[in-house]
Amino acid sequence: MKQLIRKADVILFIVLIAVGLAASAVLSVHSGSSTDAKVVIKSGGRVYARYPLSEDAELEIPAPGSAGSSASSETDECTHYLNYNVVSIKDGRVSVSKASCKNQVCVRHGSISMPGETIVCLPNRLVVSIEGDEGGGYDSITS
Amino acid sequence: MTQSPRNHSSLSTSFIARVGLLSALALIFSYVEAIIPYSPAVPGIKLGIANVVTVIALYKFGSKDAVCVSVIRIVIAGLLFNGLFGMLYSLAGATLSLAGMIGLKYTDKFSVVGVSMAAGVLHNLGQLLVASALIEDLRIFIYFPVLLFSGIAAGILVGVAAALILRSLIL
Repeated sequence: MKQLIRKADVILFIVLIAVGLAASAVLSVHSGSSTDAKVVIKSGGRVYARYPLSEDAELEIPAPGSAGSSASSETDECTHYLNYNVVSIKDGRVSVSKASCKNQVCVRHGSISMPGETIVCLPNRLVVSIEGDEGGGYDSITS
Repeated sequence: MTQSPRNHSSLSTSFIARVGLLSALALIFSYVEAIIPYSPAVPGIKLGIANVVTVIALYKFGSKDAVCVSVIRIVIAGLLFNGLFGMLYSLAGATLSLAGMIGLKYTDKFSVVGVSMAAGVLHNLGQLLVASALIEDLRIFIYFPVLLFSGIAAGILVGVAAALILRSLIL
């Protein structure tokens, strides 16, 4: 008991560090591939579409009630609809890049990336939110 | 922790007094830790200074003292400031870490620091197991590496403190 640190301690230390490194390597690989967070786009109170957060996309969302052609929603210029929003998903971040509304609050909101975050466009009754698994943030049990 | 009078032979007055003293000491450490304002990135990361007392109890007086001091400290600290869930997490952690400490000490190959380091890791593992049972989601184990490393660090610090105190303690 005289020595502060003995041989077995060092071995245990190395083993524990190795376990920790291995676990973090496994987890980073595992969690990197399975980001199953979804971008949920609601228009006029109904779910309009769901898209995976991991795939880059540019989506044109018509405001409810605005007339327009059908599902050709992946165009650059938004001239099909009277009222619309363009939601862009890029590198795991979602933003509204264009909007027909006057105040442009949704465009200026910036981008969101965490589950639970939302962008709202009131004039076009659009809600863009990220739906994900609990892994993203803290939960209510931990104090 | 009420003991029936039948096994009074195992509960000497000096044992009761000693455990009471050590529990009070450990409780003060718990309190000091509870009032330090800090917010760790991951819930559950803690230094656990109170475990200095547990380690000293284990090495100076034996496993029975260590178990009693640890359980009494956690229950009272839970009722006073850590809350019911904190108590639950701590009890699970303490069960694992006490078992590990007693086992490693029994092998007589590890120093105080090594035993304490293992205890720190096992404590966090126990907490993680309870948390995953409560949330019913194994994905909480993404915290495992962080808690492992913090357990190692906290365990070493506690172990060094306990070793230095044990060295200069005259009892």
